Amino acid sequence: MIGRRLPQLFFALSALALVILIAALWKASTPEWKKYQRQFRALEAQGEPNAVTKAAVLATPPQIHQVMLTGLQRVDRCATCHLGVDDPTMKNAPEPFRYHAGLGPHVPSKFGCTICHGGQGLATEKDAAHGNVQFWQTPILSREYIRASCGRCHKEGDVPDVPELTEGRRLFETQGCRGCHKLNGVGGSIGPDLTEEGANHRSPEWLERHFLAPNAVSAGSAMPNFHFTREQARALTYYMLSLTSEEMGTYYSSLRLIPSPGYGRQLFIERNCIVCHSIGGVGSKSGPDLQGVTKRHSLGWLDEQLVNPQQVYPGSTMPEYDLETNARKALVAYMAKATPEDAQEILSHREKPLSTEEVSIEAGRRDFARFGCAGCHGTELQGGVPNPNAQGGQVPSLLHLSDDYTKDEVIAVIRNGRAAPLDNPKGPTPPLYMPSWKQLLSDEDIHQVVEFLWSKQQKSTESW
Amino acid sequence: MNFARDIWRSIFRRDPLLTDKGKSELVFLNVWLHIHPAKVKTENMRFKHTFYLGFITFFLFVVLVTTGIALMFYYRPYPPHAYQDMKDLEYVVFLGSFLRGMHRWAAHGMVICVFLHMCRVFYTASYKKPRQFNWVIGVLLLLLTLGLSFTGYLLPWDQLAFWAITVGTNIGSYAPIVGGQVREILLGGHSVGEAGLLRFYVLHVAVLPSAVILLTIVHFWRVRKDGGLSRPIWKLKPKKQEELVTIGAPPVTAAVNAVVASPQKTYGLMEVVTGKPIFETISPEEEDEAVFSYPYAFFREAIALLATVVGVMLMSLLFRAPLEELANPAKTPNPAKAPWYFLGLQELVSHSALLGGVVAPTLMVLALLVIPYFDRSPSRRPIDRKWAIWLFTIFVAANLILIVVGTFFRGPGWALVPPWVHVTGAVE
Repeated sequence: MIGRRLPQLFFALSALALVILIAALWKASTPEWKKYQRQFRALEAQGEPNAVTKAAVLATPPQIHQVMLTGLQRVDRCATCHLGVDDPTMKNAPEPFRYHAGLGPHVPSKFGCTICHGGQGLATEKDAAHGNVQFWQTPILSREYIRASCGRCHKEGDVPDVPELTEGRRLFETQGCRGCHKLNGVGGSIGPDLTEEGANHRSPEWLERHFLAPNAVSAGSAMPNFHFTREQARALTYYMLSLTSEEMGTYYSSLRLIPSPGYGRQLFIERNCIVCHSIGGVGSKSGPDLQGVTKRHSLGWLDEQLVNPQQVYPGSTMPEYDLETNARKALVAYMAKATPEDAQEILSHREKPLSTEEVSIEAGRRDFARFGCAGCHGTELQGGVPNPNAQGGQVPSLLHLSDDYTKDEVIAVIRNGRAAPLDNPKGPTPPLYMPSWKQLLSDEDIHQVVEFLWSKQQKSTESW
Repeated sequence: MNFARDIWRSIFRRDPLLTDKGKSELVFLNVWLHIHPAKVKTENMRFKHTFYLGFITFFLFVVLVTTGIALMFYYRPYPPHAYQDMKDLEYVVFLGSFLRGMHRWAAHGMVICVFLHMCRVFYTASYKKPRQFNWVIGVLLLLLTLGLSFTGYLLPWDQLAFWAITVGTNIGSYAPIVGGQVREILLGGHSVGEAGLLRFYVLHVAVLPSAVILLTIVHFWRVRKDGGLSRPIWKLKPKKQEELVTIGAPPVTAAVNAVVASPQKTYGLMEVVTGKPIFETISPEEEDEAVFSYPYAFFREAIALLATVVGVMLMSLLFRAPLEELANPAKTPNPAKAPWYFLGLQELVSHSALLGGVVAPTLMVLALLVIPYFDRSPSRRPIDRKWAIWLFTIFVAANLILIVVGTFFRGPGWALVPPWVHVTGAVE
């Protein structure tokens, strides 16, 4: 009963505890990144002629390198292994030590790595850091799609070298995506909310294939095939990847808008500058001619003039436009290279003043595209998107509405929505239905949409 | 040299351990060890009587307190930081991942061991008179253990934590009248958030551990006062009431062979309290079967402690503690599951919120609490307790089956999906 074998058990367990403890200590003190740091020190010491410096380099104690980016709410430890990222002498070094060329103002010490590249900044193990592990939403972005990340900060204006972003944003607002998808709180709820799409664990390849043929990657998806071209699918993919509601600190948001001449030209058109000003004599003469204005005045003077014209020229009739810093810079950039030919171009595209009715139809057309009516009913109101087990098997055309409905009836349907009438009453519910719009559209908006619809009605060929 | 010896003797006042007196004094004069008797019955040290489950549970708690305090140095109970601190432990803190693993696996182990300990005590009928109330304390300790595990579950602030606690507290809110309020008080709001995290943290590191420590002291003290461990059932003598005789609680029916107090003798306090002359508290025949606690009992306890620590360390070395993505209230996993030990209740809730959220848990806790007062037959022999054993076995089996079904057989939309079938496109 005294237990003769107990001492053996006791010592065996003690030995086992010691072995496990040593194993744990060994595992903790030999992380992957120390190996990379040793390799990097060897690389650094290679070309070092001075023996003392060489020894000092080799003896650099291993340590975690991290950038605390409070403004971006992240901590990036990538430089623990990617040690040469800001060292130009490492231009030809093998990965992970290579220098990151062409960063411009986006220095790693201010921006870190993951805001553009994705991956897991906090991790110090290769697979985990690259985000190729379960439970990490944003794996590292492949080179092919990396420029999409510019849109995470540069949400307005155009981003030079990334026309895809501007195009993707334009497609989103004109093809009626908001009809089904919410973005930043505005849009329908038939499809998923896209506000955080860029932070979701979806591969860019998936997105691109999805835009080309929704049903091929997501069986039974209610999303119609918009027959996008490859370029358009790519542009939309870029735009999707850039979508995130992450808060960027003031330092980053102040730089979001890139002051490009292209954006300046857009502002020049939108703000109707040509109504008062001229460029090289082309335009209106009420304000000063703007050709060469950047040579006559300093940049600071021009900026001040755009902020507060009264301050610079008391009695000036120029209104305050309330433009943000980078918008003003963009305007100045445009003025520096504006030509009379371009002014002529702008003038020729200016639309004639519209009647109230035309304004109303135009507003209706915009809403029809923006809120996604076009997604199902077609940009030309032709309908035809398949809707199994609905009457006719597809979304109805709106070209002959006035034959069967009064304006008030149509307004009621838009306001309150309607289920698709069934083809076979016992069959499944059709995937598409007319949602209720009264939360999103005001009565005036709806009225304008109906005006737009009526403007497109075709006379019925049959007459009874 | 006398000076050094004086200091030594002032600290360790016992005789050398070679003598019986020294062995007894080691226990008597030591605040930590005197919860033991100086001598224990050899039969009570047998592994197959208790499987040392009570000790293992206690040692797991010790491991949890130790690793938990170490983890507290690195943890901030505030939403974005809490998750980042987990990542720091995982990737930067020396041995951080190992520590967190030990804490996690020891916590699951403690829930399991507390439950197994309860089963052992039930099957050996060790809750019978005079130990009824110690069983009640044991049930309270089980509930506190679940509470500790549940509050700790939220702290990593990942998707697993967030949704498990959301589901878990929702189950609790089905209780009539008070349910909603209790949930609100616990979470400091209507949903799991900053306030909830802070409250769970305070409960986890201060309130619940203090309660466990206090009740554990009472639990241990009562074991001792109720005559030590119950006698193994294979040692029970057939059909004799005396088997229940224990220190401090003479059977009511049996004639107490009390010695008439003699005016010629002075009685000690212990004799007055127990009503027995001191030489009768352990019978001579029992004396033969008893050995000194030092070294026999202590050595076995040390082995149990070692085995517990080795087990936890091994688990932690081989398996990382789970950590999913940052908690996202906007993204519900499908299915969202409560911690595994509540999945039986969640399974019941999926059939009937009233049954799983109110009736079943209330009845289970009440039934456990009143067992010793309803099962009044004094016999501890299995042959006399067929009904009790059957009922308890059904209770245990039902719990296990429900937990297994809830854990492994429930897929998206809480549909019945066997674990070997992979559901594609389940998420999003």
